[in-house]
Amino acid sequence: MNLDNNNNNNNNGNNNSSNEKLIIYDIRAKIFWAIRIRYAVVLMSIVMLVFALSSRIPLGLTFVLVGWLAVYNSTIYLIYLGSRRFNLFSLVIFRSITELVDVLTITSFVYMSGGLESPYWFLYLVLIVVSGFGFYSFASLSVLLIAMFSVIFYLGLLVLTYYGVLPTYGFGFSVSPHELLQLIFNRAIFITVSLFLFAATIYYFSKLLAQHRSELTQNNKVLLAAMEEMKETDRLKDEFVATASHELRTPLSVMRENISLIEDGIVSATAYKGKDLLKVARLNIDRLAGIIDSLLDVAKIDARSLALNRRDVDLVPLVDKAITTLQPQAEEKQIKVQAKLPPQVLVWVDEEQILRLLLNLIDNAIKYSDCGGKVEIGLEAGEEEIRGYVADNGIGVAEEDQKKIFERFVRLKNGKTSVVKGVGLGLSICRGIVELHGGRIWVESRPGDGSKFIFTLPKVGT
Amino acid sequence: MSQQKILIIEDEKDMSEAIKLRLEANNFTVIAAFDGPEGLSLARSENPDLIILDIMLPKMDGFRVCRMLKFDEKYAKIPIIMLTARSQQKDIEQGTEMGADAYMTKPFKSEELLEKIKTLLAAKVPAGKSS
Repeated sequence: MNLDNNNNNNNNGNNNSSNEKLIIYDIRAKIFWAIRIRYAVVLMSIVMLVFALSSRIPLGLTFVLVGWLAVYNSTIYLIYLGSRRFNLFSLVIFRSITELVDVLTITSFVYMSGGLESPYWFLYLVLIVVSGFGFYSFASLSVLLIAMFSVIFYLGLLVLTYYGVLPTYGFGFSVSPHELLQLIFNRAIFITVSLFLFAATIYYFSKLLAQHRSELTQNNKVLLAAMEEMKETDRLKDEFVATASHELRTPLSVMRENISLIEDGIVSATAYKGKDLLKVARLNIDRLAGIIDSLLDVAKIDARSLALNRRDVDLVPLVDKAITTLQPQAEEKQIKVQAKLPPQVLVWVDEEQILRLLLNLIDNAIKYSDCGGKVEIGLEAGEEEIRGYVADNGIGVAEEDQKKIFERFVRLKNGKTSVVKGVGLGLSICRGIVELHGGRIWVESRPGDGSKFIFTLPKVGT
Repeated sequence: MSQQKILIIEDEKDMSEAIKLRLEANNFTVIAAFDGPEGLSLARSENPDLIILDIMLPKMDGFRVCRMLKFDEKYAKIPIIMLTARSQQKDIEQGTEMGADAYMTKPFKSEELLEKIKTLLAAKVPAGKSS
């Protein structure tokens, strides 16, 4: 059925408009089901008419009724085909009108087939079932409306019959007016109670269904999001294992080669070249130790077991110390490192950790700057917190990456960074340190225009 | 017999230097490149007898360098030893797929590297120098 082929826009969104789409889809599906059922009724009626030839049912009127149903249903079908662009409101109106006409048609049907004696009042129940069971909560309300209209029309039919306004087409057994009143009264109560009870039941179930469905949809969304996140974490872990493996193995292999060159007597340990090899081996040991420290720090920050040794610390000499430590790297790339510092910035922090924070940030700034660039470090003391920054005029960070870079193991892939060595832990350690102190860290940057890493630290501990 | 020529494509200068010393001590001529494109152009201009290729290279990674050489008839016969610090199975598989002749994980034993070089060079000679 190509009529139902719009079901692919059902439930993959997560906002109101997709919810509305879902409702529209649901209403259209129901209208279509009703169309099919009406056609089935038309066919059934034609068959039944053959058997009814002998009864007292007025054949001409019944043909008119069946003909009416066929024409009416075809009209609805045509409108349905054109309803693809209907908005929710016009679709609801359209459906309400068809339901009202359905109730009227059923009432005529009941009347034709004997009014009071007709068993076809159960068609009201069929209509209630078909219209109920919505996947959206307010759809179920229409069930109660249908029940109400059905009762009104049916009772009207009975009243008109009693007063003789409508002729009776019953199967013909005579009753006294008193007995007829009794019958009509009994039937009125029976129909009213049955229809409303039935409608209430359907209403209740369809509400439950709608509620469960929306819960399931919600849960699905949460699960999908969680799965995506896990996939991403998994990918990052894989990437980390590869990177960490590279970072740990490279210095090891250099050390091994250099030492075995001397051991094998290829280069003499006392020669200038030999001393150079040993120095390189020693530098690689330092490098390895540094990487292992970072890894252990990350593990500690993860386990929240990095104990802070807080004291009142003046950050100004700390910044100077960090700059002095990194001066060789800066000079190698002819990068000018400037500091804009007030005379004194006192804050209650772990001196060692904040020094590491500064070293990491300044080291990054130097790494990601071009030769001859400029790195600026600043401190500002506010009322409740101090704010520090490290700015460079290097390659910058794209906006979509500005949050990501503080995640673990993340190293951005934009061509240039592959020149820079690292495991992708530095900034995540920085964030860990700042957050342990109760501060925040973020980056402001435009690609190609440099980056400014800003952190805050509360003056008194949290 | 003239000295055989080996090209080292490795961005870690210390590593490259150490391998170079080792190979020179074993009577090879060694040339070195420090990134992918440089290695590729040196391989083409110098036509070495063997290439030692790192995977994590700046600008163009080792897999690509390997593929570009192996898919070029003129250079496909040059044996390539992939040398890398990545040790995951999928890296090794990828390397072999790209046509690398051998794969060594850092840190490696120098004797094993020399052994591999000698085996690959010995296998290459009977095939003839078509170039």
